[in-house]
Amino acid sequence: MKRSTRWIASLLAACLTFTGFAQGAMAAGLVSTEQVAATEGVKSATAQREHLNATLSRADVAAALAERGVSVDQARARVAALTDDEVATVANTLDTAPAGASDVLGVIVTIFIVLLITDILGFTKVFPFTRSIR
Amino acid sequence: MWTALFLWVLAATGCAVQTQALREHPPADLPHKAELESTPFFAQTAYQCGPAALATGLAAAGFTADPAVLGEQVFLPARTGTLQVEMIAGARRQGAIATRMPVQLEALLREVQAGRPVVVLQNLGLSWAPLWHYAVLVGYDIDEGEVILRSGKTRRQVMAMRTFEHTWKRSGHWGFVVSPPGQWPSQADEKAVIEASVGFERSATPQQAVAVFRSALARWPESLSLQMGLGNSLYAAGDKRGAADAFRFAARLHGSAPAWINLASVLIELGDSSDALAAAKEAVAASDDDWRGKAAEVLRAAEEK
Repeated sequence: MKRSTRWIASLLAACLTFTGFAQGAMAAGLVSTEQVAATEGVKSATAQREHLNATLSRADVAAALAERGVSVDQARARVAALTDDEVATVANTLDTAPAGASDVLGVIVTIFIVLLITDILGFTKVFPFTRSIR
Repeated sequence: MWTALFLWVLAATGCAVQTQALREHPPADLPHKAELESTPFFAQTAYQCGPAALATGLAAAGFTADPAVLGEQVFLPARTGTLQVEMIAGARRQGAIATRMPVQLEALLREVQAGRPVVVLQNLGLSWAPLWHYAVLVGYDIDEGEVILRSGKTRRQVMAMRTFEHTWKRSGHWGFVVSPPGQWPSQADEKAVIEASVGFERSATPQQAVAVFRSALARWPESLSLQMGLGNSLYAAGDKRGAADAFRFAARLHGSAPAWINLASVLIELGDSSDALAAAKEAVAASDDDWRGKAAEVLRAAEEK
């Protein structure tokens, strides 16, 4: 199972690489706005280095999204809407970055009490029924 | 034991300093309360607070928004949630501009006062037990110490301002405003506007991008990235003369290698051989390691003409 998923993912990555992402590509070898913004101190030096690998990681990120339940067409469209810098961010933090979801059921019992107290103190707002002290 | 836990919790969570400062010394020019009552509401289903909050922001800015469609564009099934980057990109895909907000609570309140709701990421739990959640700030009351949110399944959630500050701080003070192209949030800083414009350029038609860069330049006329964006989108729109003018302006003002490179490339295409050669020489002279290869390339091309 695991093996076949991996195989499909690499096939997908290959397909995406070959179809390419025409969007945002500048004709005539002009320097793109993203590249200038990256060197103008808007982005870190690391982000600039990652920029070089952006074309490659686009296909990888699309494949990674597809692996995580997004349809292939959507994955491609979603990655196409990202700047190179954003692609690098997603590539590096896909499984660790905050993913807004909010569901109280995810909270396990051991920290229930702590969160209940912090809710009442107004530091957190996990439970809909708490009313914090002002 | 409970006392110890209580003290530890206090120490771990700290004070809501911004709320305290706002309540003790409210800025003189900021009205003490505001509420954008007409902001639409989309109740979230199961983990879909991202699409719901995004739909709220889009609809408030005058875009048609359907959380179910947005869900396909931004929701990440394996994470049962929505990434911040995809919230921003999701807004852009609808033709809107998404601009990051500063980390000051006051800036958020001012934006609401100016009529724009702010989409925020909150960590409703604790740093080591996170509960990530997107909501939309639509109102505040400094005297009562409250904020008003469109949040989850609640149309009008009233939350203590300091609780909001804690939950917002835990997300790294992350928030953005959705606006139609050409209109910028009053509180956005230059860096945020550059990022938003550059991202917009990727999803938009060249004509739309030209308009957005022009509107941003109206506020920050000296920004190199914005000037380059204007030149590049004019070029993509087929206006090579206009592009050359934009690159020339940027090149002279900043002595910037990429601006000289692009100017030389466009002048070669326009057939201005002598000007192209002069610009290419300037490009080589202005280049550091990042641009040397590209500058040498354009100089060769100019010399061949």
